Amino acid sequence: MKLRRFMTFAAVAAAICATSLQASYAQDYPTKTVTVVVPFAAGGNTDTFGRLVAEELDKRLGQRFIVENKPGAGGNIGLGDLARSNPDGYTIGMGTVSSNAINQTLYKTLPYDKEKGFAPISLIASLPNVLVVNPDKIKANNVEELIAFLKAEPGKHTYASSGVGTSIHLAGELLATKSGIKITHVPYKGSSQAILDVVAGHVDMMFDNIPTAAQQVKAGKVKALAVTSLETAALLPDVPTMASVIPGFEATSWHGLFAPPGTPPEIVEKLSKEVQAIIAEPAMQEKLKAMGVTPVGNTSAEFQAFIDKETVKWAEVIKAANVPLQ
Amino acid sequence: MDIFANLWLGASTAFMPMNLFYGFIGCLLGTAIGVLPGLGPTATIAMLLPITFGLPPESALIMLAGIFYGAQYGGSTTAVLINLPGESSSVVTAIDGYQMARNGRAGAALATAALGSFFAGSVATILLAVAAPPLAAVALNFGPAEYFSLMVLGLVASVALASGSLLKAFAMIVFGLILGTIGTDVESGTPRYVFDIPELYDGLNFVAVSMGIFGICEILRNLESEHERSVGVKRVTGLMLTKEDFKRIIAPVLRGTALGSFLGVLPGGGAMLASFAAYAVEKRVSPNRAEFGKGAIEGVAAPESANNAGAQTSFIPMLTLGIPGNPVMALMVGAMIIQGITPGPNVISDEPELFWGMIVSMWSGNLMLVILNLPLIGLWVRMLTVPYHLLFPAIIGFCCIGAYSINNSVFDVFVMAGFSVIGFALSKMRFEPAPLLLGFILGPMLEENLRRAMLISQGDPSIFVRSPLSLSLLIFAVVVLALVLSPSISRKREEAFTE
Repeated sequence: MKLRRFMTFAAVAAAICATSLQASYAQDYPTKTVTVVVPFAAGGNTDTFGRLVAEELDKRLGQRFIVENKPGAGGNIGLGDLARSNPDGYTIGMGTVSSNAINQTLYKTLPYDKEKGFAPISLIASLPNVLVVNPDKIKANNVEELIAFLKAEPGKHTYASSGVGTSIHLAGELLATKSGIKITHVPYKGSSQAILDVVAGHVDMMFDNIPTAAQQVKAGKVKALAVTSLETAALLPDVPTMASVIPGFEATSWHGLFAPPGTPPEIVEKLSKEVQAIIAEPAMQEKLKAMGVTPVGNTSAEFQAFIDKETVKWAEVIKAANVPLQ
Repeated sequence: MDIFANLWLGASTAFMPMNLFYGFIGCLLGTAIGVLPGLGPTATIAMLLPITFGLPPESALIMLAGIFYGAQYGGSTTAVLINLPGESSSVVTAIDGYQMARNGRAGAALATAALGSFFAGSVATILLAVAAPPLAAVALNFGPAEYFSLMVLGLVASVALASGSLLKAFAMIVFGLILGTIGTDVESGTPRYVFDIPELYDGLNFVAVSMGIFGICEILRNLESEHERSVGVKRVTGLMLTKEDFKRIIAPVLRGTALGSFLGVLPGGGAMLASFAAYAVEKRVSPNRAEFGKGAIEGVAAPESANNAGAQTSFIPMLTLGIPGNPVMALMVGAMIIQGITPGPNVISDEPELFWGMIVSMWSGNLMLVILNLPLIGLWVRMLTVPYHLLFPAIIGFCCIGAYSINNSVFDVFVMAGFSVIGFALSKMRFEPAPLLLGFILGPMLEENLRRAMLISQGDPSIFVRSPLSLSLLIFAVVVLALVLSPSISRKREEAFTE
């Protein structure tokens, strides 16, 4: 009997403590090490952005922000882990256009609840793709000439990508559906092998993330015809946008920070403010711009609206191009 | 283009005290993680990446490169001592190296590995200095069709890896090929044999599979007969090489270096493929081929030289084209981008200090590694005298950490455990694991490149014979196949192995 009373007392006490803890929680956050899940391999773009921001969060919030790479299944493994982790702000993670907008349509099943999604913290960076062609294989100096050239020889030419359903592949599909050309898709495992084969002329052209592709363009190995952002890119200022030929053509590879669904909004907001401030710093702006990246910080609501728009856009491309679902 | 002026520039960068220091740290760390099974350079470099943010680019890259080739040195240690390849590229070293250890020649095997690696590393560094751009051009000539033909040749030659029954070796290769089909199909994006397990979407992990099939399986075998443990029973005799040994390893080291230097340049191939190929070649051409599988020193010398040469030359596509050939190079590219240097064809002209500094540091790093490793051999060999009931729990512990660290995933630990059981069953039935692993590596590359070449040629198979490079590789494969199947040779083979 005594024990039972003690237990009731303990339960009530615990409940009271928990409520008061909840209130001061967001204010004190973070009080211990935070894990930043990167659902891709170390050394890639997402990893780089994640580490840059984690290092600054570390300095600003006075707690360690440790990056943990959980690669696999197009980012689904890492995001599955993130979704299952405690929504207390001590596990957050990176997400990209692939893992958080394209995979929603591309994969029949995801290791987390599609509807619940994630609590977006802030967009970090947006990376334009650039359309590069092998000058020996494709006789064209701009996008109009390219379309005319490809229309004259339908199905005879090829474009490389970093894999089925990646933003690089879907940019190609977007071009094909919008301009009515027929071109064969040649997927690779990752973009480095793909751009190598475009440089060598085994494959005729591809869309590629701007930092690596820009180097090949500057060395004269491939010709850049257009960038896929709405504005021209800082690394390749002379290259026009796809949108100037095909209105509304936008296919960027974006990277942002997310919290598991159900994370207290105060914590999400606190992190979002910090990330926006980090990105607004001149040193960070300079660093990201030198990589060819457009730095973007935004609020949770803005980020969510952006993700919804992107999800719808890529779902339409996947359906129009008949990309097989996984 | 004065090569000496360039090397002088490189030396003035590489021999700066700070860069020597970071180079040494890299080599030391690399050796340590190479010795620990499974914990590879990829995981280590990923963990150290944030530390490099604050360093000058040269020091950062010199340290990271040191970790990478240091791991190639260290990886052979456990392969020889306890049949547990520390790195994927030392899988074949385990075959004869471990047998040498059982014959009490662990010291000689480790010395061979260290000296062979040093020689190969030095040659590959010179190659890198004088011929990086032309070699990169060779890599560009390898398109999907050429890769396919190279893989065909590799598969045909892989039969040579087996020392027992030809039929069993063939069965193991096919088993490996089948395992290689697990995962998302690159061409269509269709998941195959994944049973809705997300972890299988990228296929089985090679390191986890090879640790299970070699390392853990070896522990199971040893525990079966605890009182007559295979290694350490015989007294370790002589740590250094005899004159006779030196004579025997010269040719294999040269051949391994040549093969490794070439295969290392090809993106995707790299050090692992080089070590397999060097072993297979040695087994065909060595005058002592009957000893292979029973502790032939050539079987250690050739693959160890090849994997170190390959590790060195795999920097070529990264430094000259800006294209990473393997996950470690991808990390180096990441490190360079964070430093504000985007790797590309212009790095040599834009960042000469970095490029030449790295090349010279590779040579000084190799020297450090030999000085570091030769005295350590005695220490490693003494590890064999540790009672097995103390040693094996530690090995299993390290293996689990190593398997987990590949993708930070428990799944890989289970894969390792599962494959140790499969490996144990196979060894009971006298099937050999090496051909299985080779099929497992080559299979996906073979399939991917076959289908990619067919996509590019719009379904016309003549693409494989139209390219002179591809055609010669295919002809070579046919010749090797004819040799393997010819009655006189296969009879000799049977005789050699049924002693």
